[in-house]
Amino acid sequence: MRRIVLIAGMLIVGMALFGCGGSDTESGVTSVNLVVWKPNIPAAWDSALAMFHEAHPDIKIVREIGPHSSSQFHDLVAQKLRNQDPSVDAFLMDVIWTPEFAAAGWAMPLDERFPPSEQDKFFDGCIQADVWDGKIYGVPLNIDAGILYYRKDLLDQYGFEPPTTWAAMIDQIDSIQAGENDPNLNGFSGQFRQYEGLICDMLEIVQSNGGRLTEPESPETMEAIAFVRNELIGDAAPEGVLTYSEQESLDLFTSGGAVFHRNWPYAWSVSKESPIAGQVGIARLPSFKDDMSTSTLGGWRFGISRYSKNPDAAWTVVEFFTSPQMQRHFAVNAGRAPARKTLYQDSAVLAANPHFEEMYPVFETATPRPRTPVYPEVSNILQRFLHSALSQDDADLEALAAKAATEMETALGRVQ
Amino acid sequence: MNSERKAAYALVAPAVFIVAVFVLSPIVQAFINSLYRDTPFSPKTFIGLDNYRTLFSDSVATGTIEFTLIFVIVSTALEILIGLGLALVIHEHFKGRGLVRAAVLIPWAIPTVVAGVMWKYMLNDQYGFVNLVFYGSNVANYVAWLASEWSARMAIIGADVWKTSSFAALLILAGLQSIPEDLYEAARIDGANAVKRFFRITLPLLKPAILLALLFRMMDAFRVFALVYVMTQGAPGGSTNVLQYYGYQKMFPEQQFGYGSAVSVLVFVMIAIVATILIRTVRTRIYES
Repeated sequence: MRRIVLIAGMLIVGMALFGCGGSDTESGVTSVNLVVWKPNIPAAWDSALAMFHEAHPDIKIVREIGPHSSSQFHDLVAQKLRNQDPSVDAFLMDVIWTPEFAAAGWAMPLDERFPPSEQDKFFDGCIQADVWDGKIYGVPLNIDAGILYYRKDLLDQYGFEPPTTWAAMIDQIDSIQAGENDPNLNGFSGQFRQYEGLICDMLEIVQSNGGRLTEPESPETMEAIAFVRNELIGDAAPEGVLTYSEQESLDLFTSGGAVFHRNWPYAWSVSKESPIAGQVGIARLPSFKDDMSTSTLGGWRFGISRYSKNPDAAWTVVEFFTSPQMQRHFAVNAGRAPARKTLYQDSAVLAANPHFEEMYPVFETATPRPRTPVYPEVSNILQRFLHSALSQDDADLEALAAKAATEMETALGRVQ
Repeated sequence: MNSERKAAYALVAPAVFIVAVFVLSPIVQAFINSLYRDTPFSPKTFIGLDNYRTLFSDSVATGTIEFTLIFVIVSTALEILIGLGLALVIHEHFKGRGLVRAAVLIPWAIPTVVAGVMWKYMLNDQYGFVNLVFYGSNVANYVAWLASEWSARMAIIGADVWKTSSFAALLILAGLQSIPEDLYEAARIDGANAVKRFFRITLPLLKPAILLALLFRMMDAFRVFALVYVMTQGAPGGSTNVLQYYGYQKMFPEQQFGYGSAVSVLVFVMIAIVATILIRTVRTRIYES
């Protein structure tokens, strides 16, 4: 019997040891645990960390690299914070997470450290996205917004200007496809897989008709969805876009397989090193009615965990990474559009990213996705609704929309 | 208690302890969790069986249960049939049998996530191998297999059958090898042809092995996750969503721990029922023979 007790005791001790791998603080050096995603361009992050350690020898950043995909990264960070993991000090947040992380009490309000005078230097949309219930919970790192890429050579050849309405885009596609007679040349490519990107693309199209994703039954929303289903997918765009996220849709465009393409600003630098380099133009996304062009707001920010034991050191890290100097660094070396407005007049930033100048007004007016603590659930409901509506030829749009509206109501009712 | 008994208890105690800590307690904990509404946005509240009520009334959940059952039934049926065929082939003596046996096992040895990614590429609408096979260079006819309901469902089932039929074959092959050769010899002398020998000797004596393969495959099929996660994430429109993926969506992205636990408990109960029925059948079969 004693032996069993011994074994049990060993097991328990072993588990206890596994459970608490405490953070070790060297003498005089505070370590800050920073949870970030796997970057596109790792060298830009490595040099940024080196610069930080040179400027702040008293703080050591311990970087934990999570998955590249936003939703998988969300699950990791949410899980850690839900468990009140003290080994998270600062973390990256996607633009859609702030209400959730604030309402759950995971993110720390930063109002004292990040006053309005400092907030004014960022795009208003980025700041609004970080506010929940009157307090600010994040400091923006970069901004994203959807834009239209087009094949300048083809549009020039057929004497077209970039289209301002969806109908004009379809007309241009019809003429170009008729003229080129190339089965490999599609009209449009975008992100319509059942994932977060579908929400971004559809928000742009729906809202450019005056509709709202949160009001799926409104005639404007229905009309826009019917347009995507009847005239884009399987027609101007290959049916495969229903399985495409950013990468696949961009591959189709950069391999010369599409005339028009919707993507985030990063696609510009990718297209520069592709077979269609030099033949790409950018424009605002088309709309149904005049002046209704809509771009979905994206981008990342830093938050600080409420369970952090070193919030002051964590703030030093956040402040450094969101400083003008570092946003310039990430713009020049990683093609990330800065969240700080003044950098759009910076010669180094513009030399590396000449397209930023044209995109400034798009960033200024980018539209946020629905703001609610239960956003992941609302997003899943909308993804299911939109993907069913777009992929099933015999789907009853009205019934699907009514169901989505009820489901969203239930989800939203769950937050007090 | 005599000393022998004491020793016996002492010997099983570590195993019981490990099962209790690592198997039983999570199951009990999941069941307890499933009786609560547990999200980060409101205090944890006891709601009885409400989560289960939602699970059986919400059309998204019932659609998920429906496809999970379709998946389990169709994929295990195909896997047993194909596995039986494979086992019969690799049981025969022929030149290069070792090589064929190894080749048959390759799909089973590939990690599921890798297999899922591979199938996703093969089914791609621009450069997918499957389109090349069906349509050659006729690009205009290329199909986006994962974009419509039935082809996506078939793709998920097909990938699972491709990957795990060889496991069923392995179990059935073990059964084949236990059938004494003299039975066939006697049957041959009595004038039974190959078809008769198969249905009168092979199949009846294989029943325990087939039931065992069915048990393992069904239990595994209920737990399908990786293929769906990698290939479709439930798309198009949720038509390839399975219980394990649905539970994951509720539990992690949506942070609904109570409801997510209810989904896990449902999967556990379904597997437990199937396993109990099959294990009882296997036992009686073995005693009969």
